[in-house]
Amino acid sequence: MKTLHIRALTLALTGAAIAVGSTLGGCERKSELSGWRAEMKEVRFAMMASEEDPTLTRKLDLYKDYFARATGLPVRLYEASDYNGKIQAISSGQVDITLLASASYANVDAQIGELAKPILTVRRADGELGYYSMFLVRADSPYHELADLKGKTMGYVDLNSTSGYLYPRAKMRKEGIDPDTFFGKVAIAGGHTQAIMALENGQFDATVINVGGGDPVAGFTTGAQFTMARRGLVKLEDFRPVWTVGPIATTAVVVRSDRPQAFIDLMRGAMAALPYDEPETWEGGGQTDGTTLTSVDREHYREVIDLRHEELVRRRTGASAGPASS
Amino acid sequence: MMRLAAPLLAAMALSVAPSQASAPTTPLRIATLTEEAAPCAPLAADAPAGERAYFALLSRRLERQVLSCPMASRAAAAAALASGGADLAVLDAASFRPVATTTRSILTVRPKDQFSRIAVVVAVRADDERRTLADLRGAAVAFGGANRSYYDRPLRALADQGVGEGYFRTHVKAASAEEALEMLRDGKVDVLALHAGAWRQVCLKVKGKSRCDELRVAWRGRPRATLAIVAPNTMPLETRYRLIGVHVAMHQEAPSAFAWASAWMPNGAEFEPTESDALILTSSAAPR
Repeated sequence: MKTLHIRALTLALTGAAIAVGSTLGGCERKSELSGWRAEMKEVRFAMMASEEDPTLTRKLDLYKDYFARATGLPVRLYEASDYNGKIQAISSGQVDITLLASASYANVDAQIGELAKPILTVRRADGELGYYSMFLVRADSPYHELADLKGKTMGYVDLNSTSGYLYPRAKMRKEGIDPDTFFGKVAIAGGHTQAIMALENGQFDATVINVGGGDPVAGFTTGAQFTMARRGLVKLEDFRPVWTVGPIATTAVVVRSDRPQAFIDLMRGAMAALPYDEPETWEGGGQTDGTTLTSVDREHYREVIDLRHEELVRRRTGASAGPASS
Repeated sequence: MMRLAAPLLAAMALSVAPSQASAPTTPLRIATLTEEAAPCAPLAADAPAGERAYFALLSRRLERQVLSCPMASRAAAAAALASGGADLAVLDAASFRPVATTTRSILTVRPKDQFSRIAVVVAVRADDERRTLADLRGAAVAFGGANRSYYDRPLRALADQGVGEGYFRTHVKAASAEEALEMLRDGKVDVLALHAGAWRQVCLKVKGKSRCDELRVAWRGRPRATLAIVAPNTMPLETRYRLIGVHVAMHQEAPSAFAWASAWMPNGAEFEPTESDALILTSSAAPR
């Protein structure tokens, strides 16, 4: 997953887990809007806040500026405090477009079906469309493989996290390990950064986070621990991977399909063109040089949709489930 | 490559020229190669099904009439783009060159067995006096990576620059980009050639320091597109973005239209956006 970590002005709305950020004026005044622009009036984009990156405000401005220029409309950023904030924002129609990890998209798909349309995902430089889940332990711990974690404290990222919950649990089951009974205790960290910090502080024996910008053979370059290491918050050598699974379908740009088709086409085109038109903006916004965006549809996320469905059924009934996708 | 170094300036330019952001309602005129030129006109009813699907898709999604403009050659299509007689044409490098100042590439087709046209970086040690690709003839080069993307991309981009077999004295395929980097740093080779993703990976900054701090980029560029859809520079931004948005999803949303529209590139997988000068060789170093 390559999430665009964006921080807007934090104005928490009670009960909504969403904050409304600043807007950037587009090219036309609202009273002069016509056609699909008159219908849209503004572009409402939900992003998830993250405190791991000190350059978030600059990144926010780069994207807002680009989207405003592309659409000719004001861009309003909605800051979600957690995964569920973005999920509910797009599901309710409070925003027009957002970036969702595949499990979050699967959640939205279960709620509103075709009203949510995945349109783009990141393609890595080596042509792959996925990222990985990595089980991490402290380097000074005695744990060297997944089996060593039996009975220990596991810190997941979020119940809606693909790489930090859903996917690794499904892969454990495929290895014959029941994640519900294998660990002695489980906890939810609330985010990748928090999971790393809790592991560093000894609150968890292990955590599982997303990593990207490489593969298990070549190594990885992106993920919370790399960002935190660059800030001097942690040292990469303080951690040891014990199990890596993937690739997982990467974060989707998801748009409400009940918005004007012209808006959907324009946003898809503008975003796909960004690495070619303005590579500095692309990288400045937090994307890795060499990555591009490619078109996707619901089928691309079918595995995760089915895994999430199975996970939900297990959680509710303990029984096995058939596939959710049709 | 179009590099808007100052997004703010571009934003200001657009804010005083709002028409640039709006889509026109006049017909979209697509240059099509035929044996005999003819005036732009609606597509004939007996046109191939894929062509009709393509024109219908564009007309529906752009909310404009789409006309076919039969042209006898790519050069004629290029001239029509430059003179305002057409809005889209598939050009090659030769036909694009005379109209390079008034038109731009917007889309190309990625074949199924090829990677996206991402940039390639050629680096030397900072104290190496050789500063350009031309200076590096006879040097020892290292490539490195876990899969063929680490070799194919640099080789293709370098081949476009005339750097083919025999250009370098030795040609080392290291097991990884990291290993290739260390070979350069240790003086075992003179040159490192990686795609931009691998370069970024090995040059990761940790606490402000990178293992590439003592290297210098001698050349950076994308592989040249052999063919591309070209549009006049005057095409409104909205039209270009909507065209790109429709085309990049066409292989999924309208396969028959995609098959016809991409037929100029055998074994096409998908449309991809391009930089403005994708049909031109970039010959100078572009350190970033």
